[in-house]
Amino acid sequence: MDYWLQQLTIGLSLGMIYALMAIGFTLIFGVLNVVNFAHGEVYTIGAFVGLLVITAFAPPLIAVVVLVMAAGAFVGFGLERIAFKPFRRFTDEASLKSRAMRESTLMSSLAFSIVAREGLEIAYGSQYQTVPLDYLINQPVDLFGVTIVVGDIIIFALAVVMLVGLQFLLTRTRVGLSIRAVSNNPLGAKYVGINTDRTIITTFAIGSMMGAAAGLLVGLYYGAIFPSMGFIPGIKAFVAMVMGGLSSIPGAVICAIILGLSESLATAFVPSVWADMVAYGFLILTLVFFPQGLFGTGRERV
Amino acid sequence: MSDNRFSASLIVAVLLVLLFAIVPLILGWLGRSYLYQVANIAMIFALLAASLHLVTGVAGLLHLGHAAFYGIGAYTAALLATEAGWPFLATLPTAGIAAAFFAVLVALPTMRLVSIYFAVATLAIGQMIYLVLLNWVEVTKGPNGILLFGGLEIFGYDLSAPHLAYFVVAMVTAVSIWIIHRLSHSYYGNALRSLREDDQCADALGIDTVRLKIEAFTLSAFFAGIAGGLWAHTTGYISPPDFNFATSILILAMVVVGGLGSLPGALVGALLLILLPEALRVIGDIRNITVGIVMFLAILLLPKGIIGEVSALDLVRRQLAGAWKRVDGQGIGWR
Repeated sequence: MDYWLQQLTIGLSLGMIYALMAIGFTLIFGVLNVVNFAHGEVYTIGAFVGLLVITAFAPPLIAVVVLVMAAGAFVGFGLERIAFKPFRRFTDEASLKSRAMRESTLMSSLAFSIVAREGLEIAYGSQYQTVPLDYLINQPVDLFGVTIVVGDIIIFALAVVMLVGLQFLLTRTRVGLSIRAVSNNPLGAKYVGINTDRTIITTFAIGSMMGAAAGLLVGLYYGAIFPSMGFIPGIKAFVAMVMGGLSSIPGAVICAIILGLSESLATAFVPSVWADMVAYGFLILTLVFFPQGLFGTGRERV
Repeated sequence: MSDNRFSASLIVAVLLVLLFAIVPLILGWLGRSYLYQVANIAMIFALLAASLHLVTGVAGLLHLGHAAFYGIGAYTAALLATEAGWPFLATLPTAGIAAAFFAVLVALPTMRLVSIYFAVATLAIGQMIYLVLLNWVEVTKGPNGILLFGGLEIFGYDLSAPHLAYFVVAMVTAVSIWIIHRLSHSYYGNALRSLREDDQCADALGIDTVRLKIEAFTLSAFFAGIAGGLWAHTTGYISPPDFNFATSILILAMVVVGGLGSLPGALVGALLLILLPEALRVIGDIRNITVGIVMFLAILLLPKGIIGEVSALDLVRRQLAGAWKRVDGQGIGWR
């Protein structure tokens, strides 16, 4: 029984991490209708910035998280300027919806991610970085008779804070209103005087902020920070987004948690090296049987 | 008309002389087996780029898992050669057929998807196959990889010496690329192009788009499998990291940099992205970052690639104007 509860908490915190990343994907897909393949690298960069901050200043954990989120916002800004902005030269409706445009940003973000990952690899080497022991969040605690790791609680708490904050931002502020407007109809938003360019940058900053925080938390949880760490979580967050129906944030969060739970429960039955299969299997099954996602609103051809 | 025919066959002749006489002569003159190895890798990746060209360039489907089929080919060839002792002439086609078989298997459920969904489905398939290669230790030897001894033997002649292996690879590559060329410059290729331009419209015209997609995907996997077989037999050692996502991206980058939809472009892209990092090796191991930078610059500055489809088609049309012209009562077509 204890074992299952432990797996459940691990799955829940894993799912929360995927959720934080999936939100970035979903927000960006919402406003631009493109997939940001460099999102996994934002996660990696978040972890590395956190490591740099920790080794240089050793501030308290909450300060590290805030600094990493600021760095993530900056990376998101840079990413948008470098890999997405140059392909938005044409702003008419036809090219906003064109497949060629989408695929060129897909590939430019892919190229950005390769350069970022390989740059980190040249600078730091491809092996695991050593994380100072004081900052690792894997001390066991006893909660209602179940032994879990303190990191599970921290991840869960921070993720919930961020999700509530995001919900507040999206539904109660002008920035959120403009983000929702642009993702609903970019051209219409432009006509009513919303600065779409600034909204898109804001979206990238918010999404990357959460991605970077997720990277930091995972790095401290497992004590494993390395240049290619963002690839697999990136794919899984993407799976969660597709399962959730592409444009639905609650859907993406729920599916991310389902994904995290099923992955950690799967390790009870198969060796953990096969756990990644679960996500890929889910993706294929979703695409084949629920092409609109589990929570999607059928809006385009799959 | 005969002039155009003549100059087209002249180009082909020049390329063949270059491939089968001049390059081996230069390599022989330099006399380093390492350079033969680089030449082999360049040719194998030219074949991979050409096979991906069929799916991504001609049919316009973004394929992010091509390396997995290359891997299936390589593992099929290696396992048949080491475990069952099959000769090279048998393993090579079997490698292609095995890759094509798996391609049909995964294509049947997923080929109804379009654009980004297709890309992600192929990514997931590629990763699944990679995981199997990596973790099914009983069969694939897992991360240790497979060693092949006495790789190349045809009718009892041992061809594994570097200069002989070069000719084997060159022969297979040239024939495969010729087949891909004929496929992509035919009515069949035009049907695939119609998928790229507008698949709903193609569907409305009575083209069976799903079936065409499956066929293109399978053909491309077949040639990727052949390339995998060549890789297994020429390098003598294969391991899962050779067939991971980075390799898929490398092949995709070749097609994109060279020019989507253009076969010469894919070949030029392959040569560029293999030979450039080799030439820059003195600076350090920067292959992957070069791939990223070159790909980014190519998308930004040369959206049509080095030799784009349109310019390449113009070239072909000029060169083969006689063959392209209208034959009485038969419409426009090739011969």
